[in-house]
Amino acid sequence: MTTAALVHVVVSGLATGSIYALMAISLVIIYNATRTLNFAQGEILMVSTFVGWTAMQVLRAPLVVVLIVAVAAAAGLGWALERLVIRHAISATHFDVLIITLGLSLMLRSAAGLVWTHDEFPFPSLFGNRPLAIGPVRLAPVSLGIIGASLALMLALYALFRWTRMGRAMRAVAQNQRAARLMGISVERVYSGSWVLAAVVGAVAGVLIAPVVFLSSKMGLVAINGFTAAVLGGFGSMPGAVVGGMLLGVLENLAPLYLPSSIKHSVPFLVMITILLVRPSGLLGRVARRKV
Amino acid sequence: MLSVEDLSISFGGLDALSGLSLEVTEREIFALIGPNGAGKSTVFNVVTGLYRPSRGRVTFRGDDLLALAPHEIARRGVGRTFQNTEVFRQLTAIDNVLVGRHAHLRSGVLRGAFGLASVRREEAEARELARRLLARLGLAEVADTEAGSLPLGYQKRLELARALAAEPRLLLLDEPAGGLNPTETQTLMKLIQRLRDESGLTLLLVEHDMELVMGISDRVAVLDYGRKIAEGKPREIAADPAVVEAYLGSGDGA
Repeated sequence: MTTAALVHVVVSGLATGSIYALMAISLVIIYNATRTLNFAQGEILMVSTFVGWTAMQVLRAPLVVVLIVAVAAAAGLGWALERLVIRHAISATHFDVLIITLGLSLMLRSAAGLVWTHDEFPFPSLFGNRPLAIGPVRLAPVSLGIIGASLALMLALYALFRWTRMGRAMRAVAQNQRAARLMGISVERVYSGSWVLAAVVGAVAGVLIAPVVFLSSKMGLVAINGFTAAVLGGFGSMPGAVVGGMLLGVLENLAPLYLPSSIKHSVPFLVMITILLVRPSGLLGRVARRKV
Repeated sequence: MLSVEDLSISFGGLDALSGLSLEVTEREIFALIGPNGAGKSTVFNVVTGLYRPSRGRVTFRGDDLLALAPHEIARRGVGRTFQNTEVFRQLTAIDNVLVGRHAHLRSGVLRGAFGLASVRREEAEARELARRLLARLGLAEVADTEAGSLPLGYQKRLELARALAAEPRLLLLDEPAGGLNPTETQTLMKLIQRLRDESGLTLLLVEHDMELVMGISDRVAVLDYGRKIAEGKPREIAADPAVVEAYLGSGDGA
């Protein structure tokens, strides 16, 4: 296999990996604030991408507007789900809430099927489709665009968590809710904010990936790879989510070159299990400390 | 300023507090003492909204604190530190102080996302203030260190800096001298007095270190088994037979 071909495979792996990373980040955002796994994350992505697409069909809106509509829809949906459903289960166990989110994901998928059918629809890309040639290496603009946009979003999130009032409040709540309350932080608002932020990250990922996987009610399944990525990186760690996502994307694309193609989808899990056996807290996860 | 009336709370049938009343006036240093398990920290947890009492009233500057959530109480000017420090362990020292400043910062997510000049200025000012507070408590050189990796004495001062960042009117200190050496305790006493004298704070403290309690308190209340058994000026308390009995009787004097 030539170096040029290898570079091509790695770059498209990084593109897929960027999406996994964004999904992993959105799961970690909600988990850190609320200790809940949100199984509806993929369906929030799917529904908001569909809403953006509908705006395009109805209003002939340009893609930038589609992105804005999708993000707004995600923010609304994330807020509503937390406020109207999850908030009422505030005294339930984490396991109960997890099952509720699983139920929400099924409901959202069925609802999307009713509104938009279960067919697959082509989705235009924000980026052109003329391959970019750098020497012998040919790269798809879609891949580069996805990587670039995802990295930009990750940097923005980093800045949010590092240098803003809300970001700090979210990190404080993740570590010690009691102390956070006594600092004047409304933990409930942080819950809302986390759901909205996670949904928005998902919507961006949805608009980025839809041209590649097609728009359909099943596209939310990408969240499963987001889970794997988050676990791989150490659940709870943002840098871990990014590293886990990228690693997963590249491995998934490299594996068929060396192994029977039917094994493609098992490779990430084999890697995940191996890494967890060696480092139970994931690649960048903190070693679990018992609270005393 | 802070008024606690007829406060009762029990856990699993055990009365943690029964019929406790306290009146803390503005710019006063008021100490709560008593054997372990006497209910001192429980008073703090009720005042800051973490526990709901079964009976009683708590008002602060006219507000009924029992009707407010913990974060609303904090925003009305009640700050506290914990007996076992509760810093945000994975945040740097300066970020801990900035979280303490939370209620004073205005910028929301949307405005922050656009990096408006006013937001950046607010953030820069908050950082400047946080650095000054850290310096005041001798923590300037650990500003960027993760709080969880600091020694206990540092964490206690950091908790104090974090509480002060909120500019409270009433500050509750739960065993501020616990784990400190005599020199550190002396520094702490001076700091507490300066907070009252220069910043006009009112302080309610729980403390076992009698030198600190007798040295700086205006008034002292003694709790035993959830009841107030004495209250008065430090020297009156030291001579009170009921107090001596409570301390000797429990075998865990201070």
